[in-house]
Formats: sequence, structure tokens, C-alpha cells
Amino acid sequence: MKINMPVTDKEVLMKDGTILVTRTNLKGIITYANDAFVEISGFSYNDLVGHNHNMVRHPDMPSIAFQDLWETSQAGKPWTAPVKNRTKAGDYYWVEANVTPVYKNGSVVEYLSVRYAPTREQVNAADKLYRELNNTRPTTIRPTGLAKLTKNIKEMSINKKALIAAILFLIPNVCSMIGSYQTQDMMHLGVVAGLTLVAIIFGYSIIADLLKALANSSDIFKNIADEKFQNNIDIDRKDQVGEFYRNLYSMQVKLNADLAYSKQVGAESLRIKQALDNVNSSVMVSNNNLEIIYMNNTVQAMFSNAEADIRTQLPHFDSSKLLGANIDQFHKDPSMQRKMLATLSSTHNAELNLGGRTLAFVANPVLDNDGDRIGIVVEWLDRTAEVKIQKEIAGLVNAVKAGDLSNRLELADKSGFFESLSEGINELTDGIDQAFAEINNAMQNLAMGNLSSKITADYDGVYGECKNNINATVDKLAEIVGQVRESADFINNASREIASGNNNLSERVETQASSLEETASSMEELTSTVKNNSENAQEAKKVSTNARRLAEKGGDIVTSAVDAMAEINESSNKISAIIGVIDEIAFQTNLLALNASVEAARAGEQGRGFSVVATEVRNLAQRSAAAAQESKTLIQTSIQKVRAGTEFVNETGTALTEIVTGVKQLGDIISEIAGASIEQSQGIEQVNQAVSQMDEITQQNAALAEEASAASVSMSDQSETMTSLLGFFQTVEASAGVKRAALAPKAPSAPARAKAPSQPAPIEGARIVASSDDSDDEWGEF
Amino acid sequence: MSNGANVNESNMKAQYLTFDLAGEMYGVEILRVQEIRGWETVREIPNTPDYIKGALNLRGEIVPIIDLRVRFMMENVEYTPVTVVIVLCVETEQGSAIMGIVADAVSDVLDVNLKDIKDKPNLGVKIDTQFIRGMYVTKDNMIMLLNVDKLLNPEQFEGISEVMS
Repeated sequence: MKINMPVTDKEVLMKDGTILVTRTNLKGIITYANDAFVEISGFSYNDLVGHNHNMVRHPDMPSIAFQDLWETSQAGKPWTAPVKNRTKAGDYYWVEANVTPVYKNGSVVEYLSVRYAPTREQVNAADKLYRELNNTRPTTIRPTGLAKLTKNIKEMSINKKALIAAILFLIPNVCSMIGSYQTQDMMHLGVVAGLTLVAIIFGYSIIADLLKALANSSDIFKNIADEKFQNNIDIDRKDQVGEFYRNLYSMQVKLNADLAYSKQVGAESLRIKQALDNVNSSVMVSNNNLEIIYMNNTVQAMFSNAEADIRTQLPHFDSSKLLGANIDQFHKDPSMQRKMLATLSSTHNAELNLGGRTLAFVANPVLDNDGDRIGIVVEWLDRTAEVKIQKEIAGLVNAVKAGDLSNRLELADKSGFFESLSEGINELTDGIDQAFAEINNAMQNLAMGNLSSKITADYDGVYGECKNNINATVDKLAEIVGQVRESADFINNASREIASGNNNLSERVETQASSLEETASSMEELTSTVKNNSENAQEAKKVSTNARRLAEKGGDIVTSAVDAMAEINESSNKISAIIGVIDEIAFQTNLLALNASVEAARAGEQGRGFSVVATEVRNLAQRSAAAAQESKTLIQTSIQKVRAGTEFVNETGTALTEIVTGVKQLGDIISEIAGASIEQSQGIEQVNQAVSQMDEITQQNAALAEEASAASVSMSDQSETMTSLLGFFQTVEASAGVKRAALAPKAPSAPARAKAPSQPAPIEGARIVASSDDSDDEWGEF
Repeated sequence: MSNGANVNESNMKAQYLTFDLAGEMYGVEILRVQEIRGWETVREIPNTPDYIKGALNLRGEIVPIIDLRVRFMMENVEYTPVTVVIVLCVETEQGSAIMGIVADAVSDVLDVNLKDIKDKPNLGVKIDTQFIRGMYVTKDNMIMLLNVDKLLNPEQFEGISEVMS
């Protein structure tokens, strides 16, 4: 007996509601296993199918149990018992196994095993029983001895049981009848015999009827098991048998309908499978164990096509054995892939590189109606050719990017889109190659100095623009070279003229130097004059200071005079007041004299002498008054004079102040003149220095003029060299020699120069020498 | 006194005190002159004509003072240190009275021959010239001799003022 090792103590529990189904042929080889079985067993579908069923057997199961199973099955009977099975990993799981033979046209063709999840009681009882059996090791588990007899009696045919019952029933009746016959109790005999007969007839008919119904039902069940559902069933009977028939009938109809539905579903699935088989995409379906349970034709073809390549990396790869195998075989290290696929719940895109093949795949979960994942559908795409072309094109593009335009794509191994794409890329490369070759050629010519070479081929777009630009560049360069050539000739002429000009300049600078020396001596004379001026100005300043001091003194005297005048004025006023008093006295005296005259007149003759005295007194008074009046007038005149004198003196003071200011200003001006003279002498000294510097500079200028002369000679040489260098460029005009001849229309030997354009220098030089007098005139104007 | 004057007239000689008023010379009989004084402020008398300047206490006698410039409707002149008051004795029908006149200056005592006194100018009856005694012509100027009694008659004052106004 096969013993599968190793085992573990880990139990795997069946999920409630799942059914494990297998089919085996008459020799016990598995021909079919459903997904649930494959999943719990731990084996792959391919591991299971084509192998003996005993591979899932657990070593704890007593062999006698399988012997019993085998004997029962061989006898064409169904068998059921709790069974302990082993998974691939050594774990165990309990099932309630139901094995039934499948009949086809009356004979057994295969066995169908259906397993349910057992209850815990069943498991415990079975476990206990199997341990005992393993310990005792009996030859059979069937009952023996009395147990077998009891069982045989219990399982005896109904016919035999009925017969025994009838015999047992008849014995007392017959004995009773024999007794009645002996006593000649015919009445009793007849009643008993009649009743017995009736009982036997009834009993027989009941048993016969039941047996017939049983046999009929059995046939119907066999037909149903054989998928024949059109059985005649009497459903009109009213007794228990009729009830039985009606239930049977209901079952038949229900099973028929279910089977029809299952067939329809099967047909639909088949249709889809057929469709999938023939679609262009490579489709593969795996169960939750990642075992491939379906592959369509395309994927089959794809893998057989790629087999040789894949084998270089995975030596055990066999495209014909993919179905039922695990997806893991596509990976050297499948754990990550497995982990990812185990939790796959949405679309997963990836790419595999196997032995040089590039296989892209899209994995999607397949869900049942409850949303549980029941498998994975994988679409494959062999991108090897595409990737190869991609690489080829990338290589070409990189080469073009690196400037290697010699490569082209191979067209022979390509077809369709890739061929036309490759052709296009080759044409593109050809175009770039040709354009660059022409540009290169033109540029090479340009480098050689050939300015007449141009791109002639026709181009569009950027190439056209590039061509036009290069041609324009060449033209422009030719034009510029022509102009430069002209300029060089002119420079040549000009440098000669500059040389002769520089000589003249040098002479002039010498003249300038002698003039400067004269200027320097004149400046020295000027310096002494200015110094004299300065000294005189200092003297004048002293004099003016004295004048100022004197004028200030005069001012003081005037102030004293003004004071004296004021005192005179005061005295005059006092005199005037005194004269006023005198005048007053004279007036009063006059009045008194008048009164005396009045009194004298009144006295008449007696008063005559008195009158004379009064008259005399009055005369005196009047003379006093007149004298006072005169004095007053004199004094007033004096006061007026003094006032006028004061005014004069004040004016004199003002004039003196002005004189002081004027003298001060004069002093300032003289000081400024003195300062200016000093600055002047300093300035003249600076001028002196400047003149001596000018002298130096003039000397340097003379040297420079000589250098410039030498430089202009060498410049002339350089320009000749330049002209000869420009001969390197071959323009259309240069080769024709027309332009050069037109350059020097004044030259007497123009035709000769046109013939020998490479030797213009001596002729140019000759021209310069000849025209040196003219240039001298020009310098003279300068 | 009138008799004396007549005697003097017949004697052919009289003394006249001349004084200055607004540049013109006037004369009064010296015998009518009581006193000559310098100008001093007088006590004004209310409700009198303008030309009555006021009253002066002359040794216990109250003497009214008349400004002749105002009396003769002349231009008013400031009083100066030489302005004098001439106190005159006026003989009227009611008796004699003493009155002062204000003069710009007193000039001289003139001895006049009566025959040399010219008549006062005849200006008709309408114009009152009775206060003029006559005109005396000297070598230098013409002196108007005043009739003091007529001029300073208090009865005439109102009349003059009426005539004047």
C-alpha cells in the first residue's frame, strides 16, 4: 500500500458549503478534479489528473477502510465514510467521502467521488475507530458471526421475509384448522380457512404491489442516474405509494430542469471557451493557486514559438505541459510574483524578459458572483520583434545623433508596418547624409579658399534654407574678400603716404622745438617784469595803507571840529538869549520913558525938562533896542554861519570816510594786484614748465614721428603681405582679374598690373614717391 | 480937558502918542493917556462883543480892555513881547471913564502943529468916521489921529457893532 510521507499535525478545514469532486476511472486513476479539490489538496491539476487517487491518502487511514471502499465499489454500490486526507505539504483534512459508481447504458463506466465537510462528531468517531483498526488490524470491517447473521436477516429480501411471515402466520391457522377438522367443527374450520385465505390474498397483493412499486422506482432512479428523465410515473394514486411517486416525479422534473440549466450554462461556457480559443490575443486563465487552468490556441502557439528561447533561461520549460502547471515557472524567483498575484484585485501590467524574449502581460482578477476571486486571467503579448526593431531604430538614431550617417536599417527581416517605418527612416538618413555631404564639400572648398564653389542640388525646407544661406555666405564672403582686397590696396597706398607725411612731421617738430626755446626765453623776461610789478604793487599797498591812516586821522579832526562848532552854536544861543534880555530891558525902558513923557506932557510947562530927559531916555532905550537888534541879527547870522560850518564839517567827515573806504578799496585792489602778480609769476613759471615739457614732448614727438615713419613703412610691407595673402581666395572676379585692374585707374601701368596682379607693390610704391610733393602740401595745410 | 485941547489947538501945538496897529500908524492925544503897559493876560468878561478882551485891575480900578484890531475888523495878530496896552481916559456926557486899548507896539511921542492936521476923508453920511480926529502926515508916513472920546464911548459900542455886523 502507498504511504505518503511526511505528515504534519496541521489540520486544514474545509469551508462550509464547498464540495470536493473527483472522477476516477475503473482503475482508480483521477480523470477530473474540481477547483475546490485542487485548492485544498495543494497539488496542481496536472499533478492530480492522470495519477492514482491514493496520492492524497493519509497514512493514518487504515488500509482496510480502502479495501472495503474498493470492494464496495467493485460490487457497484455507493460507499460513504469520513476520510482523513493528506495535502501535498503533509497537512491533513477530514471529509465525508461519498463514492458512487456511474452507470452508462447499464454498466459502470467510472466512479464519482463527492466530499462534504464532516461534522466534528463524525470526525471524532471516525478518528477513534481508525485508531482502533490501526491497532487491531482486522481482516475485514464487515460484521462476522452473529452480527453477520443478524445483519443477513435484517437485510433479507422482502419476498423471503413475506414468505416466512406467511408461513409463520399459516402455522397456527393450519393447526387451528386441523383441530377443527378433527372435531369436525366445520363451521369454525370454514371461517378460519376463509379468513386465512382472504388474509393471504390481501397480504400477497400488498407485498406484490409494494415490490412492484419499488422495482419500478428503482428502474426510474437508474434511468435518472443515466440522465433519462422521461419515465412513466403514476402520479394519480391516492395511497402512500402515490405520494411517493409524486415526490419522485417532482424530483425527476426538478433534476431535469437543473440539468438542462447546467447544460445550457455549460454550453455558454463552452461557447465562450471556444471563442477565447480562437481569439488573436494570447489568453491564459489560472486558478487561485496560480495553476494554469486554461490556455487559448494563440497563447499556446505563442509559447511553443518562444519555447526554444525561453529554455535558454528556464531549461525545464515545456510549452506542451503548461496547462495545469503553475505560473511560477515563468520566474526564477516566483515568491514576489506570487505575493503580488495572491493579492491581485485590479489590473496589473508587467513585462517579462525570458531568454531574449520580451513578453508583456496584463493580469486581471476573475471574480465570482459574490465578488470572491476565483482565478486570474492573463493576456500575453510577445513584444520580442517589436523590441528588437525598437532597439535597431534606437541604434540607428543614436548613430545619426553621433554623426555616423553610414548605417541603415536591414529591410529583409521586416514586413508590414515595421518595413515601411524602416524604409522611411533609411530615406530620412539618406537625405541627411546627402545634404551633409554637399554642405561638407562646399565648406571644404571654402576652407581651401575656393569661393566659387556652391551647392547646386535642390533642397526643400530647412535644407533649402541652409543651402541658400551657405551659398549666400560664400557669395558674401567672396564679395567681402573682394572689398578687403580693394581696401588692402588702398591701405598700401595710404601707408606710403603716411610714411612720407611722417618724415615731414618730424622736420616740423624740430622747427617747433626751436620756436619753443625762444618762447622759453621770452617767458623768463616776462617773469622778471611780473616780479617787478608785484614788488611795485606791494609798495603801492604800503602807501595806500598810510593814506588810509591819514584819512582816518582827518576824520577824527573833523569830528573834533564838529564838536567845537556845536559849542560855538551853544554860546551863540546863550548870547542871543542875553541880547533878548537887553532888548526886553530896552523895551521896558522905552515904556517907562513913554510914560514919563506922558507924565511930563501932563505936567505941562513944569514938566518940560522932564520931558526932555524922558525923550533922551527913550532915545537911549531905542538905541539900546536897535543895538540889541543888531547884535541879535549878528548873532543869528553867526549861528547860521556856524550851522553851515557844521554842515560843511560833517560833509568833510563823510567825504573823509568815503576817502577812507576808497583808500581801503584801493589797498585791497592793490593787494589783489600784488596777489595776481604773484599768481601771474607762478602761472608764468608753470607756463615755463609747460614750455619745457612741450619742448621735451616735442623731442619725443620727433622720435615718435620717426618711429611712426618706420611703422608706416612696415605697415606698407604688411599691407602688401595682406594683399598677397588675399590672393589665396579664388573668387570668380579674382580669377578673371578684372576687379584688380579697375582698382588703380590712376596707375600708368594698369594693363601691366592686370596681367600680373600678384606684384602690385613696387608699382604702388612708385606712385607714392611720385606724388610725395602733393602730400607735402596737404601736410602744410594741416 | 476939551478946553485944553482947544487951547492947544489955538496954541497951535499938541503932543500925540503914536502906536502901530497892523503896520499902520495911529495916534491918540497924549493928555488922554493914563498909562502905557506891557501886555498881560486879562480877565475875560462874558456876554460882551469880541473886541472887548476883558478887564484889568489897575491899582484897584477895573479897566475894560478893547482890542482895536478886532474893533476895526482887522486881521488877528498874535500878541508879542512888544504888544502894549495903552490906558486912556475917556470923556463922555455921562462922565469920564478909563479904558485900555491893545496896540501892536507903541512908537513915539509926536509934537503936532494943529494946523497940520488934515481933515478926515469924506465918505458920506452912511459911513461913520466920527472916531477919526484927522490925518497927520509926516515925512515917512501918514498917521491917523483917533478921537478917543468917540472911539471909546461905551454908548457907541453896540451901535458900532451893529453897523459893523
